[in-house]
Amino acid sequence: MKKMNNRERTFALMTIPILILFFVFNTLPLIQGFIYSFTNFKGYGSYNWVGLRNYADLFTDGRVGNSYWFTIKLALVTTVVVNVISLILAIGLNSKIKFKSALRGMYFVPNILGALVVGYIFNYFFTYIIPAVINMMGGEGTSILASTKWAWVGIMIVCAWQAIAMNTIIYISGLQTVPEDVYEAGSIDGATGWTQFRHLTFPLIVPFFSINMVLCVKNFLMVFDQIMALTKGGPAQSTESISYLIYNNGMSGGQFGFQSANAVLFFIIIVVFSVTQLTITGKKEEQL
Amino acid sequence: MRKKSFAFLSCAVLAAGFLSGCGNQENSGKTEIELVQYKPEAVEVFKKLEEKFNSTHDDIHLKIDSPNDAMTILKTRFVREDYPDILGIGGDINYSYFIDSEILADVSNFDGLSEVNQGYVDILEGLEFIPTEGTYGVPYVANAAGILYNREMFQEHKWEIPTTWEELMTLCDKIQSEGILPFYFGFKDTWTCLAPWNSLAVDLAPSDICQQVNAGNAKFSDAYKETAEKMLKLVEYGEEGPFAYGYNDACTAFANGESAMFAIGSYAIPQIKSVNPDMNIDSFVTPGSDQADGNTLNSGVDLMFAVTEDCENKEAAYEVIRFLMEDENIQLYLDDQNAVPCKEGEFDLAPNLDGMKEYISSGNMTDYQDHYYPAEMAVDAQIQTFLIEQDVDAFLDKFDKDWLRYNRDIIRKVEEYNAKNK
Amino acid sequence: MKEKVKVKEKFNWPVTVLLIIGLITIIFPLYMTIVIAFKQPSEMTNSVSGILSLPRHWSLENFKEAMRVTDFWRSLFNSLMITAVTVVLSVVLHSMIGYAVGRNKARNKKYNLVYMYVISGMFVPFAILMMPLVKQTAKLGIANVVGVILCYVVFYMPMNLMLYSGYLVNIPVALEEAARIDGATTFRTFWKVIFPIMKPMHATVAVITALSVWNDVMTPLVIMSGSGMNTLPLAQMTFQTQFGTNYNLAFASYLLALLPILIFYIVCQKQILNGVVNGAVK
Repeated sequence: MKKMNNRERTFALMTIPILILFFVFNTLPLIQGFIYSFTNFKGYGSYNWVGLRNYADLFTDGRVGNSYWFTIKLALVTTVVVNVISLILAIGLNSKIKFKSALRGMYFVPNILGALVVGYIFNYFFTYIIPAVINMMGGEGTSILASTKWAWVGIMIVCAWQAIAMNTIIYISGLQTVPEDVYEAGSIDGATGWTQFRHLTFPLIVPFFSINMVLCVKNFLMVFDQIMALTKGGPAQSTESISYLIYNNGMSGGQFGFQSANAVLFFIIIVVFSVTQLTITGKKEEQL
Repeated sequence: MRKKSFAFLSCAVLAAGFLSGCGNQENSGKTEIELVQYKPEAVEVFKKLEEKFNSTHDDIHLKIDSPNDAMTILKTRFVREDYPDILGIGGDINYSYFIDSEILADVSNFDGLSEVNQGYVDILEGLEFIPTEGTYGVPYVANAAGILYNREMFQEHKWEIPTTWEELMTLCDKIQSEGILPFYFGFKDTWTCLAPWNSLAVDLAPSDICQQVNAGNAKFSDAYKETAEKMLKLVEYGEEGPFAYGYNDACTAFANGESAMFAIGSYAIPQIKSVNPDMNIDSFVTPGSDQADGNTLNSGVDLMFAVTEDCENKEAAYEVIRFLMEDENIQLYLDDQNAVPCKEGEFDLAPNLDGMKEYISSGNMTDYQDHYYPAEMAVDAQIQTFLIEQDVDAFLDKFDKDWLRYNRDIIRKVEEYNAKNK
Repeated sequence: MKEKVKVKEKFNWPVTVLLIIGLITIIFPLYMTIVIAFKQPSEMTNSVSGILSLPRHWSLENFKEAMRVTDFWRSLFNSLMITAVTVVLSVVLHSMIGYAVGRNKARNKKYNLVYMYVISGMFVPFAILMMPLVKQTAKLGIANVVGVILCYVVFYMPMNLMLYSGYLVNIPVALEEAARIDGATTFRTFWKVIFPIMKPMHATVAVITALSVWNDVMTPLVIMSGSGMNTLPLAQMTFQTQFGTNYNLAFASYLLALLPILIFYIVCQKQILNGVVNGAVK
């Protein structure tokens, strides 16, 4: 009994100091931001209390509504695309291939290129190269980034291109935890290919699958860099993401208070969203 | 073992950080003046000016900082209540916000103000939300927007500089009929939509339209109607699908002779010249009006110096501004940055602004309309939307509605002020 | 037995070939980056050939100029230091809390709550934290590297906690019990048994954290502005102003900044690859 207590105490000692740090640099400022959401604060200088005005405005502001729709659409589609591709890629890179290190190194590169480079190159790609290719084939090519209907697809492609690298790494490190003997046992049972993946590999990497899902949803719901680099919210404000609005209008503009309210709402939505997601996948993990 | 040395290293670094954080306050008996200016492209010339100042002044030590993204840095420093002594900022809505937040000090007792072209002092006054007694900035240099043109191409084809809207339209038809593209737009970068918009609006709408709307005496749907319609006309003479191309594409295209004109400000010239260093560029005032004398140059304060309320030694700050305002120092800046001086007197101007000189010397100038627009309203994006959808009435209706919404705190203040002063 | 050896030595060529074909999506943009980094602004035209053609002269002029403008070695040192300290602190602290939470969250409601609390921190938009953090770090007297590093340690905690506790699921408790029977304390068990086993995850965490820190602009921009210290991404902002961007210099500079982190990744991925778990579990 005493030993147990000792163990508990060590766990508490490992947790509490780090938790305090987390509270000071995350929760405390968040609470302050929450307080600002009831003001017309510009980010500096004097301000007035405006009560719930900012929250009421959120629900009548067409721009805010559009940004939620755009962001959620982008996040869902990109999450699916990224996870499918990076899982395939991880399995490929984890199998017995030649040039393993070199290939893994190369597939990591998109993750390191800065937003300016990626933005410029893909802008060029969408504006000049793809239309030229379509024209060559006899079609009439225009940049998808200039189309209010399709610009989000361009952003999706770039987000996926960059994110696949990181998700692949996580899947690879997940695949490392799958013991060799599982496959050996499986191959005796005659499991190969899809069956092997479906019944042997996948169940063992479910924790990593859920990590990747959460990370993807989080990264893409908070998409900002790619928007800045590719469209800056255009054309016709069709690609304004929530983070873009919060940052641009809150920091560069004078809407810090209003955008804090937006951030609080956004925060609540994703927390509910991902806690549900985690609970579901968590149950799955336990079942396995 | 390696982990231990890592941990040790991290502790040492953290300790070093703490020490250096506390140890950079040096006192040598000199007054320290810190100037933060927001144009990183002018960092070299400011370095020269800083050295020159420090070598000629024993009692004041000047430190000029030209950070990247200075506006974010300034705002975060204000949050920390860490104010530089002098701000070098532009005459835009941030300046209005800073006055409103009581960050800037009244500099109307600064002797150098009398040497500044009154037109620019007035432009700054116009930026205050609520009229005040004081003056809060010393205008240093201005920029101007209108239409840049390829001088060689114009001479070759014997095209005349238009002075009225009709002449501009005729010219565009002529250029087009000779198989050349009149304009190249970079509307993918929404802010470039504002350049032709501003330079048309100064000709066609009252210069104080925003204040009038704030006071409840006017509506944008009337005041901007002609501007919006002429904007649509102008776009017809641009490249196909202008929303696919950004500012950089437009600069490159214009520099390579793909279009005869480019509706943008003087600030674009360095970028254009980086692509084609030998290009002969001139500019003219956008002729928005049907009468030649109805036009005015779209010009605003590009850089001004403002002293913060927090500055302890105002006289030392004035001494710094006085130094920067000396003719030879202004000339140093002009040569480096292709700018227009706000101080009166004889200066050598860049030949790229030949077509605008007359307006500058006669003081026929009006500030950029967008300097009054709140950034979060994203008027540039609204103009882009309008150019895509081509619906003048819907655009202006939304403009009016959004304006009231984004400016309601200011409008309330204006109402309070007007009620008090009646 | 014999068959197993054979499988190990045979390369899977179809997969290798497919992966090499897939590389086009990466090599093509990379090629563009490199070519642009060597060109002069006057060689940039708005056409397909303009961007794909090779530069007229191959010279390192752009790289030299980029290094001069960004004060390369000093900025590099600052970036390296911030990244290294953050990574070390993250690996140590986050694996610790990851262990404590990961081992207990299934049984103990409190730890599950801690888990949810920290994870939810991931979804706080930085923009809302920015101004309060600026104020707070200034008040604490750490509006400098220290503040930046502490912010990073907190920002990446949710993700790393998730990674570590996810990894723990596949590490059998039996391993710890063996150590405990030998009389080791819980902390010692963590440090001597669990911490080394988590090596592949340390490498993953290190790579992901390092990468995010390495490329981050906003945190140092707002927290240490005015301290006179520049990181590489901060210095690189010089190339990009509203009215003009020197892409050639910028790209040269980005390529330079890419090398250290790529090397770091290649070193780390060997660790990910040589995971000890497989052996340990048996």
